[in-house]
Amino acid sequence: MSSMSGMQSPPAQANPKPAARKTERKQQPLWRQILAQGWSYIYLAPMAILLIVFIVYPLFASLGYTLYNWNGIGDPSDFVGLENFQRVMQDSIFWQSFLHTFIYMAVLVPVQLALALALALVLNNPKLRFATFYRVVYFIPVVTSAAVVGIVIRLILSNFGDAISNLLQFLHLSHEHIDWLADPRFALWIVIIVGIWNTLGYNLVYFLAGLQTIPTELYEAARIDGAGAFARFFFITIPMLRGVGLVIVILAVLGSLQVFDLVQVLTAGGPYFASEVVNTYIYHQAFGGYSATYVDPDIGFASAASFFYGIILLGLSILQVIAFRQIARRRANTQ
Amino acid sequence: MQGSRINRRYFLMSAAATTLGSALVACGGPSSSSSTVTLNFWDYWVTQAPWVDNEIKLFQQKHPSIKIKKTTNVTDQYPNLFDLAIKSNKQPDVFMLASTPKINDQVARGWLMPLDKWATEEWRSKFPQGSFFEGNNIFNGKLYSAPLVGSAPWIQFYINNAVFKAAGITNPDGSVKIPQTWDDISRAADAIKKKGDNDVFPFGFGNGQAFILPWWLEMFVRGAGAVGGAYDKDLRTGKYTFGTDRAYTDFIELLLEWKKKNYFYPNSMSISDEQARALFERGKFGMTVGGVWNQPEWKQHKFTDFSLMTLPTPDEKPKGYFYHGIGGTLWGMSAKTKHADEAWAWMDWLYSKEAGKRWVEMGEDLSVYPENNDPANVKDKQFAQYVATAKLSLLAPIPEVRNPAVSQVIQNSVKPDISDVMTGIYTGQIGDVKAALSELAARMQKSLDDGIKQAQQKGHKVGAADYAFPDWDPAAGKDYITKPAS
Repeated sequence: MSSMSGMQSPPAQANPKPAARKTERKQQPLWRQILAQGWSYIYLAPMAILLIVFIVYPLFASLGYTLYNWNGIGDPSDFVGLENFQRVMQDSIFWQSFLHTFIYMAVLVPVQLALALALALVLNNPKLRFATFYRVVYFIPVVTSAAVVGIVIRLILSNFGDAISNLLQFLHLSHEHIDWLADPRFALWIVIIVGIWNTLGYNLVYFLAGLQTIPTELYEAARIDGAGAFARFFFITIPMLRGVGLVIVILAVLGSLQVFDLVQVLTAGGPYFASEVVNTYIYHQAFGGYSATYVDPDIGFASAASFFYGIILLGLSILQVIAFRQIARRRANTQ
Repeated sequence: MQGSRINRRYFLMSAAATTLGSALVACGGPSSSSSTVTLNFWDYWVTQAPWVDNEIKLFQQKHPSIKIKKTTNVTDQYPNLFDLAIKSNKQPDVFMLASTPKINDQVARGWLMPLDKWATEEWRSKFPQGSFFEGNNIFNGKLYSAPLVGSAPWIQFYINNAVFKAAGITNPDGSVKIPQTWDDISRAADAIKKKGDNDVFPFGFGNGQAFILPWWLEMFVRGAGAVGGAYDKDLRTGKYTFGTDRAYTDFIELLLEWKKKNYFYPNSMSISDEQARALFERGKFGMTVGGVWNQPEWKQHKFTDFSLMTLPTPDEKPKGYFYHGIGGTLWGMSAKTKHADEAWAWMDWLYSKEAGKRWVEMGEDLSVYPENNDPANVKDKQFAQYVATAKLSLLAPIPEVRNPAVSQVIQNSVKPDISDVMTGIYTGQIGDVKAALSELAARMQKSLDDGIKQAQQKGHKVGAADYAFPDWDPAAGKDYITKPAS
């Protein structure tokens, strides 16, 4: 018999009721339950080990570092207590970075989701020719490394930024040359625009998947009832996408609050912190940032900033979930 | 079914054997045959690699029983990689010292082998006087490293000859007129701008990584008498003077005036230093600030039509100079090497006068041995110009010589630092220049004071007065010899 049989539950009864199955499982010792599902645990193990080693362990290890003044070399020995947290909370650059991160999220998420939904609706049209080609085209930026995207955009703005600036001057829309990535008025907005384009494909695919779960009969029935395109969109598409949409919003919000690579490659948080987000701030504290050669890394402080930001994000995520639940409950009550 | 099980087992065994085999290879088995010793040598030099490789070749020819296995690491990750090597007990036999932790800390952790057994008085006497002292390369009376590089101003003002000639900035004999003062530079910039070629700018730089603007500050304020330059304190008082010495505000005013007149290549703040070097080479701008490390790249591209100078001054006579210390450290030997004599032979070779001579001849930098630094012996014109600037770098007071405990003070970096502040000033994000400079000085001073306090708490006898040398006259134009504490 193949060892794969170990993956299946022993068919003691043809179709046992869930309560009976639960009682039966309770009667078995834990180790036997684990042994019975051995292959499942073996298959789960590699990812679990990777998660523990590279996510869970560093998370808790960095908690210890927050209490030390430590440059990352050797073992930490200079205990400073909660001083690093105090410094983070009093650091205006941290709060400035925090604000930038939220501006990034607040602009990127609605714009990107609106664009992704609009594109998904177009690409979901069964009459559209070469739909697969367009889907690939819109998904390509997602599979391209953010570092590569950042370098290419930098080169484009270095080589063609002059042309754009000259055009604006010619049209009397600007009276000065603009160094796009080094201008505090534009740096963050360029990062946001590139960010919207770079990860649009993810949400497009999510929305496409969501749209394809909506039964076409609903649209046909609505059409027969005389519903127009707008009515069908607002009374069928949007309500039917609500479940997927919530997940997409949560993922987009959390993803945008974690922005790092794009900012680091495009502007490194500059000029003078004008586009610094929390993750680049932490990186610059931990590894010295752009002045790495001259600046001592401050792993203790960076860990404190990271942990503090993690707590804020956790709080926000909980609030987000509570808010969505409240909305869902209110809707359920009104229906 | 049986077959598939055997196959799976066979596959797993093969995979395990392969992995184990690879791991053993990666760990390095016995690295030498009975007659040949292989020394593991770590560095982080890329542009200097031709010199290192040549020295390895020559050394191996002279010592056929010793093989050097060089590993060049990423510069900014070198301290971390070295730390990992120590933790896994795989440290190289000979290595460039990591910048972090400081050498005294590395000695305290037992990473380094004392060199006294081989570095005799006779060996030390080859070096210039004062090259070895407690707190620099000697700790608890034992020597751990030595200097390789001599001192010259570390930053230069580069001129694209073609741009200057096109703008008519020439001497009567047709050669390029090298500016010497701030006014000369302003006039040259004006001439380039007035030429009317909108594609060519007087100045350019690549501040994309945000550390270049302080180089401009350093270049201009030294000759104006700002003794601490862009990064350091004034060793007459031991205080940071960004907010009190008018040389800083004077230059920043000039910089902003140049910016207002559109003298700078417009994308200077977003392009990288590498891009700026390429644009200078193509004549996109006539003047830039950079180090001697620019030269090999330009020469690789067959670009030699440039000149250099350093220490531009507001008036004809400099009010200050570039300064340097003595002593120095570069390579060290592992305390755990099994081939100490062979490792020393390699270190001795690297630190030899002959290797230093080749170092200069190959255009890498100055040698610690003054006799190697004769511009007449340097074939390359621009590198000879650089070698000739050595006279503009003078010996400054050295707090560690007077009190070796100073080396125990660890001064943490500050944020915003000088790079941030200069960027903010240039982009207009910082409006009140004087206030920003004063705040920077206060942050730096606090960082130094905190470092002193921590060292005191650890029992080291050190204080703020250790950084003050009131009898030093930086404008005198001569070396300051620090007397060791009695």
